[in-house]
Amino acid sequence: MQQLTSGALLDAVRGVHWPARRVSLGGFQGAHRSRRIGSSPEFTAYRPYQQGDDPSKIDWKLFGRTERVAVRLAEDESNLPTTVLVDASASMAFPVDSMAKWELASAVALGLCAVAQAGMDPVGLAVVDAHGARALPPRTRQGTVSNILRLLLETTPAGSSPLAPALSALRSSRRIAIVSDFLGDADALLEQVRELVVGGREIYAVHIVAREEVDPTLATPVIVDPEDNALRRPLDTNLLGQYQAAFARWRESLAAQWRAAGAVYHSATSDEPAERVIRRVASPLAVGDTSA
Amino acid sequence: MNFLAPAFLIGAAAVSAAVVVLHFIVTREPKTAPLPTARFAPDLPVRAQSRAIHLQDLLLLLLRVLLILAVGAALAQPVLRPPRRDVARIVLVDRSRAVADPAEVVDSARSLLGDGDALVLFDESASVVREAIEDSLASLGSAREVGRLSSALIAGLRAASSMRDAADSLEMVVVSPLVSEELDAATDSVRALWPGALRLIPVTARRDSSIEHATSIVGAADDPLRFALHSGSNVLAHDTVRVVRGSLSVADSVWVRGGQGRVLVYWPAGGIEGVDTPTLPPAWAPRSAADTVGAVIADDAVVVAPFVRYAELREPADSSSANQDLTTRVVARWVDGRPAATEEVYDRSCFRTVTVPVPARGDLVLRPRFAEFAAKLLRPCGGATPLTASTEARLAALAGTDEDRLVPRSEIAPPSRVPQPLVPWLYGAALAFAAGAMVVRRRASAATVTPESGGDA
Repeated sequence: MQQLTSGALLDAVRGVHWPARRVSLGGFQGAHRSRRIGSSPEFTAYRPYQQGDDPSKIDWKLFGRTERVAVRLAEDESNLPTTVLVDASASMAFPVDSMAKWELASAVALGLCAVAQAGMDPVGLAVVDAHGARALPPRTRQGTVSNILRLLLETTPAGSSPLAPALSALRSSRRIAIVSDFLGDADALLEQVRELVVGGREIYAVHIVAREEVDPTLATPVIVDPEDNALRRPLDTNLLGQYQAAFARWRESLAAQWRAAGAVYHSATSDEPAERVIRRVASPLAVGDTSA
Repeated sequence: MNFLAPAFLIGAAAVSAAVVVLHFIVTREPKTAPLPTARFAPDLPVRAQSRAIHLQDLLLLLLRVLLILAVGAALAQPVLRPPRRDVARIVLVDRSRAVADPAEVVDSARSLLGDGDALVLFDESASVVREAIEDSLASLGSAREVGRLSSALIAGLRAASSMRDAADSLEMVVVSPLVSEELDAATDSVRALWPGALRLIPVTARRDSSIEHATSIVGAADDPLRFALHSGSNVLAHDTVRVVRGSLSVADSVWVRGGQGRVLVYWPAGGIEGVDTPTLPPAWAPRSAADTVGAVIADDAVVVAPFVRYAELREPADSSSANQDLTTRVVARWVDGRPAATEEVYDRSCFRTVTVPVPARGDLVLRPRFAEFAAKLLRPCGGATPLTASTEARLAALAGTDEDRLVPRSEIAPPSRVPQPLVPWLYGAALAFAAGAMVVRRRASAATVTPESGGDA
């Protein structure tokens, strides 16, 4: 948590922009392109008048020249309410001594919030831990990032609460970033994401993977799932190869499923600097990666 | 070797057998570590290695079994029986003030004591000596405490119980002057607990147990105190208590230091109406204003009368500077608790100062209470009662019949709890085994896991 409280992370991501991946449909004044029928001087095109359009928006000069009844389309700039959903289940408290997964997830969540607010977007945070979901709705006012930091510092990863119900409650946000290891209700979450993408939301998936999950230390002969103590498996050098292959297949499958659902998928390992992950997520060119 | 409670040993053996059986039946729960991605590991059942038995496992099992057996053996109270002798003696040796010559007692005790015998030294209390008996006898000196044979008999009975397995018969011997003050009301009942006869070895009692106390008064012929003490004598040739009613002289000082047990009582005749305040010893000072006190008490003798209090005991200026060979104690007090008479004890004698005025008028000195009070102030040094020899009948009852002087061990009650020398060693061994088991267990903490179908593990 030193990384969060020192301010070094926020300094590192200052100047990073997180543009919308598609033209926004509207909203308050912001930094993202928005397609509205409006009075903006940024004219883009004419569209034939349709029933229901405001007659006052008809371009009468065009009518006078061409006798075509058309309305003027102008491109405006609007904001993009953004919420970061952070998974604080017991599996994120790994490794037990360093909690590197939770450290990285917190840093990425805070950094994305700071970047979004710098772009004049309302930002909020939702944390799902053993007590369920706790959310800060998107706000633009000063101090929002501080409140987000406080909520992250107060959170201790525990339990195995599902993320999907918390995600469905974030429909007011136009852009949602999910920071998780996706070891919980992955299928229900993906189903929810599909609906949100169809509804015009931008969904980002940041998959947090611990280095020790990729290369287990094999200190003990039996491993146990911290979210399900009944799940106990033997793991030794002879079984390590099978484990790593299965884990890699699952990650590839997960990335493919999320991309197919229309989300932007990024994977980050616990030994990766948080600012690099944030820049990768915010980059308008990237379409997601599977780098580990 | 016998066991006082063999059931514990049998129980320990049964528990050990159960531990051995469980060791080979129960599989160990392997140590686990959390891994959130455990679901990606092959779905194989987890079980402990049970086919191969490691050396550490056997060592741990051995230590556990030894630990249980050691505790069981300690609880079973093993008894190592020494070779049994014909006779063992318990010698009760008097070290009280009644003994005239401790060397005589030591000589008598030495002639009686042998290896394995018990020595009981007694005065007011008794202590049993089983080891270094010669050292205890060598350090025996003259004492001022009153002897109590009852406490010595109780200690002797306990010693006999602990020695009942060491000999076929036991004998109890008493080396003592056996003066009357050493036999109290409990002596007969405690004596009755010893099933045999007591062998009495009398030693010489102190001199004052045999002489008559002679009291002399140095004062006027019509001194009212003479009536209270029923003594009309002046200085006697062999007096042991001298009451000085006038001024103290050098001769008095020489006299009191010149004999064993002499009591010099300075009881000045002044302090009454019409008579000047008498000269007082340095420890006392005349009161600035005499007052009247309603009663005076010495031990349990109380005299109720209006006494004029003309002197008071000085507060010691510095206790560290007090004369080292003197011990001052209060022997009589006024009813308000203030001292009325004191005693300074020398090595062999004592000096008393009494500031209770004896009125020349009235019948106070004729009252029995006052005579009793005065007698208390003329007792031997230290407040002890005079030593008198016990009667022949009392001693005969104490000794019992000669026929059953030796008591068979079967008639001696066994001790309720005997400390067995092996028990602490067994507990120590159990602790060592427990520590060893912890070390072995820590080293073997990494359990071996074999997947059921893995085969290659």
